[in-house]
Amino acid sequence: MPIIGIESSAHTFGVGIVENGRILSNEKSVYPIGNSGMIPIKVAEFHKKSADEVILRSLERADVRLKDISGIGYTMGPGIGPCLKVGMSKAKAMANELNVDIVPLNHGMAHVEIAKRLSNMRDPLALYVSGGNSQILKLDSERRHYLVLGETFDIGVGNMLDSFARKMGLDPAWGSSVAKTATGGRYIKLPYTVKGMDFAFAGLMTKAVELSERNSKKDVSFSLQETAFAMLCEATERALLLTKSREFCVCGGVAQSERLRVMLGSVAKEHKIKFGAAPNEFNADNGAMIALLAERVLKRGYGVKVEDCDYMQRYRINDVEYLAD
Amino acid sequence: MRLLSQGAEAEIYTIRFIGNKVAAKVRGRKKYRVEELDTELREGRTRREARCMERAHRAGVPVPRLVACSRFTLYFEILEGVVLKDLESIPEGVPREIGRVLAKLHDAGMIHGDFTTANLMLAENGLNIIDFGLSEITKSVEGRAIDLLLIKRSLGKGYPSLEQSYVKSCSEGDVVVSKLKEIEKRGRYQIRTIT
Ligand SMILES: Nc1ncnc2c1ncn2[C@@H]1O[C@H](COP(=O)(O)OP(=O)(O)OP(=O)(O)O)[C@@H](O)[C@H]1O
Ligand SMILES: Nc1ncnc2c1ncn2[C@@H]1O[C@H](COP(=O)(O)OP(=O)(O)O)[C@@H](O)[C@H]1O
Ligand SMILES: [Mg+2]
Ligand SMILES: [Mg+2]
Repeated sequence: MPIIGIESSAHTFGVGIVENGRILSNEKSVYPIGNSGMIPIKVAEFHKKSADEVILRSLERADVRLKDISGIGYTMGPGIGPCLKVGMSKAKAMANELNVDIVPLNHGMAHVEIAKRLSNMRDPLALYVSGGNSQILKLDSERRHYLVLGETFDIGVGNMLDSFARKMGLDPAWGSSVAKTATGGRYIKLPYTVKGMDFAFAGLMTKAVELSERNSKKDVSFSLQETAFAMLCEATERALLLTKSREFCVCGGVAQSERLRVMLGSVAKEHKIKFGAAPNEFNADNGAMIALLAERVLKRGYGVKVEDCDYMQRYRINDVEYLAD
Repeated sequence: MRLLSQGAEAEIYTIRFIGNKVAAKVRGRKKYRVEELDTELREGRTRREARCMERAHRAGVPVPRLVACSRFTLYFEILEGVVLKDLESIPEGVPREIGRVLAKLHDAGMIHGDFTTANLMLAENGLNIIDFGLSEITKSVEGRAIDLLLIKRSLGKGYPSLEQSYVKSCSEGDVVVSKLKEIEKRGRYQIRTIT
């Protein structure tokens, strides 16, 4: 019985379909970010226009008929209000139309769960790095909820890379552009801030922008990326040892970075810890991760009434009951 | 030479040093980061740790005595004891003692930077602070509040006696505790425990 998942917390409108833990499709439409930021209403408008088309594409790719869908999951939060609302409305309308179960889900948990599933891990430490979030997570010993062991004091590492890219005039203003610009760069000293398992990125970015007046974009991009990722590695290494974890995965949009994965892999190898990440299409925001989590939560009977469905811009992962076992 | 502990940052060995048994804390290479950054961090932290241990000792904060220091290695006294993190439960009176030694450290003009139960050792002579690798010489109220926050978080719950003795022993305790309340209110921080 196929389950559909809808993700619309930010720039991506994603629709995935799964059945018995197998991903049948994962289609998306991404707001073209270019060299500017996102205006919430505009992104929401964009999602509204493409929603139906993405849903149909996902059904076609999975080769599943709409009326065979047996359950629906959507992103409840955290995210941008107007964008979340578009996904929720689509999900609710579909649930009413098909008369099937629906469940609102936490976006961060979906990121972690798909990485766990695709790396075949049951109880890993997870580094969740995306635009808005940078957290070190692990389930508590009773598997009731995620603990936030460490996190950013200010901005997420992805947003830091994005605003740096914007200030450097890179197009698209995205982490991948910083990575490209950094190729062959030389290291310049930048502020490095780690406090135990927590870290901060705002000061690092400000200094990098300042230094770009006297240094090449290449060198500054290289140094910014090396410094930020080394900070993440150090905090994660500390958390791995403190929790005595034997498995470790990385997830979220910034997990698409080849360099970050190599660095984290080296940390894991040093301590003979198993390391994994999902393929890139499942690290960026996507609908399949919502569908996967929805299937497991619905299986345990935690669907909600359509009229009780809501969205939440701020919705912390440690406030969510873990129902995915 | 025997490996005493494999930390995130360093390995600690027990060695013979001019005839005496001491601990050697070695900050080895981290292959994941670029060499310049790696060297800078290991050198800087070794130097900083040495400086802070000395300063703390002079101010009467219980810390292992520093014996010597080279580029990436510190040599210090071995404590016979156990870190609080490895205890089943926190013995009575210890939270009050934590508040007191932290106040002393802050009054000596520095913050610890990684003030958790993994870095507090209960030894024959009482409670000792170890691991000054992330310490800083600063009077920053935010930095002090974060030390309090880190220990509260790693203890898994708040101990009123810890905060009380901190406020009583520290010259600017009230200001720091209200800063702590402010940070906790920012919402990002709930009590997190490590299981
Ligand atoms: N190759 C890459 N290297 C580094 N960063 C990347 C790369 N590709 C994408 N990113 C970053 O990933 C981030 C996007 O992450 P994601 O797709 O999870 O969306 P998000 O809106 O940030 O999600 P969340 O709500 O989880 O914070 C952006 O900040 C982007 O710069
Ligand atoms: N002076 C000491 N005497 C005995 N054991 C020590 C001493 N210093 C550190 N240790 C042991 O080594 C461990 C790690 O030391 P620490 O300085 O905290 O290193 P790291 O920076 O890697 O965390 C401690 O948890 C403790 O068990
Ligand atoms: Mg995301
Ligand atoms: Mg330590």
